[in-house]
Amino acid sequence: MKLSNPTKIIIALFLLFCLNCHTTMAQDSSAIPTLMAIRYMVPINQVPYLSVNTKKKVGRKFEPVKGISCSVYFNDTSNHNLLGKTVTGVNGEGKVAFPASFKATWDSLTSFKFIAIADAPAGEEPLSSDVTIKKSILTIDTASVDGVKMVTAQLKEKIGNNWVAVKDIEMKLGIKRMLGDLTVGDAETYTADSSGTASAEFKRDAIPGDEKGNLFLVAKIEDNDSYGNLTIEKSVPWGKAVHTQSIFLKRALWSTGNRAPIWLLMIALSIIVGVWSTLFYLIKQMLTIKKLGKLFDENASSSK
Amino acid sequence: MEKIQKFSSEKIIHDLLPKKFGRRGMIWTGSLIIICCIGIVAYIQQLRKGLVVTNMGDYVSWGIYISNFVFFVAISLVGSLITAIFRLANVPWRTPLTRISEIIAVSAITFAALIIIIDMGRPERMFNLFIHGRIQSPIMWDVIVISTYFCTSLLLLYITLLPDIRIMISEREKLGKPFAKLYRWLGSYWKGTEEQEKLRDKSITIICIVIIPVAFCIHTVTSWLFATTYRPGWDSTNFGAYFVSGAFLVGAGGVVVAMWVFRKVYQLEHYITERHFDKMGKILVMLALLYLYFNVNEYLVPAFKMKKDEEEHLVGLFSGEFAHLFWFAIIVGMIIPILIVVFPKGRKPNAMFVAGVMVVVGAWFKRYLIVTPTLLHPFLPKFDAPLKYSHYFPSWQEWAITAGSLAGVLLIITFFARVFPIISIYKTITDHETEQPY
Repeated sequence: MKLSNPTKIIIALFLLFCLNCHTTMAQDSSAIPTLMAIRYMVPINQVPYLSVNTKKKVGRKFEPVKGISCSVYFNDTSNHNLLGKTVTGVNGEGKVAFPASFKATWDSLTSFKFIAIADAPAGEEPLSSDVTIKKSILTIDTASVDGVKMVTAQLKEKIGNNWVAVKDIEMKLGIKRMLGDLTVGDAETYTADSSGTASAEFKRDAIPGDEKGNLFLVAKIEDNDSYGNLTIEKSVPWGKAVHTQSIFLKRALWSTGNRAPIWLLMIALSIIVGVWSTLFYLIKQMLTIKKLGKLFDENASSSK
Repeated sequence: MEKIQKFSSEKIIHDLLPKKFGRRGMIWTGSLIIICCIGIVAYIQQLRKGLVVTNMGDYVSWGIYISNFVFFVAISLVGSLITAIFRLANVPWRTPLTRISEIIAVSAITFAALIIIIDMGRPERMFNLFIHGRIQSPIMWDVIVISTYFCTSLLLLYITLLPDIRIMISEREKLGKPFAKLYRWLGSYWKGTEEQEKLRDKSITIICIVIIPVAFCIHTVTSWLFATTYRPGWDSTNFGAYFVSGAFLVGAGGVVVAMWVFRKVYQLEHYITERHFDKMGKILVMLALLYLYFNVNEYLVPAFKMKKDEEEHLVGLFSGEFAHLFWFAIIVGMIIPILIVVFPKGRKPNAMFVAGVMVVVGAWFKRYLIVTPTLLHPFLPKFDAPLKYSHYFPSWQEWAITAGSLAGVLLIITFFARVFPIISIYKTITDHETEQPY
């Protein structure tokens, strides 16, 4: 039997569809490897730490993998270079702080390698990840040029015994707010110029600060291959002073018992007094009835 | 309808004086005491170990106890319905029903107050409500209004009892010694003089006027405990009227059941007549239709909109986990009683008893459905909660305490009927002497 061309095409498409389905299913059912990454973090004026993140592709998105136990080493995986051990939490992150015992080594070096090695998750190979970081320091400052407020930040790398400004590096300059950072100007990121300084004009004059009008300016370098993650912040009196008065001091429905609204007190008390005075009046009536009964008895006994 | 007879005072006194428990009465009372004792044992265990013995948790923090509380509050409304409203409306056939409804009100409100303390877990903390209470809180309003309603109901019961106490003192030879001291202590000062009568009559009228708004308040405030909370099923402006109408229905149902039982046990066929059942039947059907109307409002409108946040709760009631209870409460608690009682034959004592039982049982489950499913479906998503928090079934301690409280209510009514006449002797004599008795 000879098949026509359209039939062949339909059969071919059908087989292709089946194959595709099989491949997709196979991909879903086969073991998708767990991924691990190590990140170097320098939080504001604090000791650096290492963050280990584990994740796995589920469907079309990555989900954190919790419960992965891993060891983090400094420069090599020898036991005496073990920085610490951690287990990833529900967000797939485990942290290892930089121990004080490594300070001397830390001070003597300008470049470090961090290695994370994790136990093999069920049915998988053991995980490992490493990152090489150059020792650096991030600074933030402010300046006023012709009445224009400027925010500047500079990353300096340690080369030999000197700190040298890093050119062309991208960083974020923002204002710390409750739920995240607000950029100081229009751009999301700023690049350091030939002198190694990134600067941005402060364009958020009307922004509310604390009671004295203080704001926290923040400079960040995120996920840089050579320097890791660095953050620095500085307090400046550039915000609008906000004086908040606690609403709990006012008479309100949500206040404490002794600060109930007057209207509520009046209504409640008038109802309570109205009803209970009626009840007391009725009790008084009962006492009068009782008195009348005694009088009746006395009259009856005296008439005898 | 049976023929209405007029009786002599002697016969009325003989028929209506409290009687000793017979064999069945002893078994009934003994059973109630046993159930109460089991409840007390369970409560002692709860006191010793804490609320951990219950199956309540972070989500269902108001379980069967609060359902029971709402039920007791509801059934206690009957005191104001039968006594106050009927008296002010001068309903001539109310006499045999008033005391039954008054004692149901007093006993139910007593246990409503107790069950709140039981639900607190730490009963001594009740004291904090008085020293740190906030008048802004509906819970505080509920405490105030419950205590007020309790005192008002007790006062009403006592004032209406006075002439009967005098009769019982005069009949002490028939009644025997056991309660003679109690009668003398309660009402030896009542001589039935014209002045006393006038004051008593005035007091009853005043108390009947006061008790109606207080009774409406207690049910409205109880409904506000729920309606002032932003939760699916409770976030309603209809709740006050919905609760009051439901309370009238269950109260009327409770009185019908009690009427049938007392009529049967104490052979009161000449006093609680078929006419009374017929009249109560008409009231019952009207109240059931009214409550059904409020239920349609309460469920049909949200179901029509089916807001995403409320969907889980509503679907759970209509076709999910609580569907069997929900449809039982609607069909057995409202629709079938309406279908029974709407026809004259359905307003005969036995049929009315069946309808009354259906209303009361349906009403209890209705209160459970108002409280529990809502708590299981909060607006905010459940996060990191154990699976068992998603379901609620009361523990044996909760069942025992609840059964004990229900038995306690029945026990108060039973003991009251043993000590005092369940139908006012004085008023019945007056009715028979002065006007056409019902």
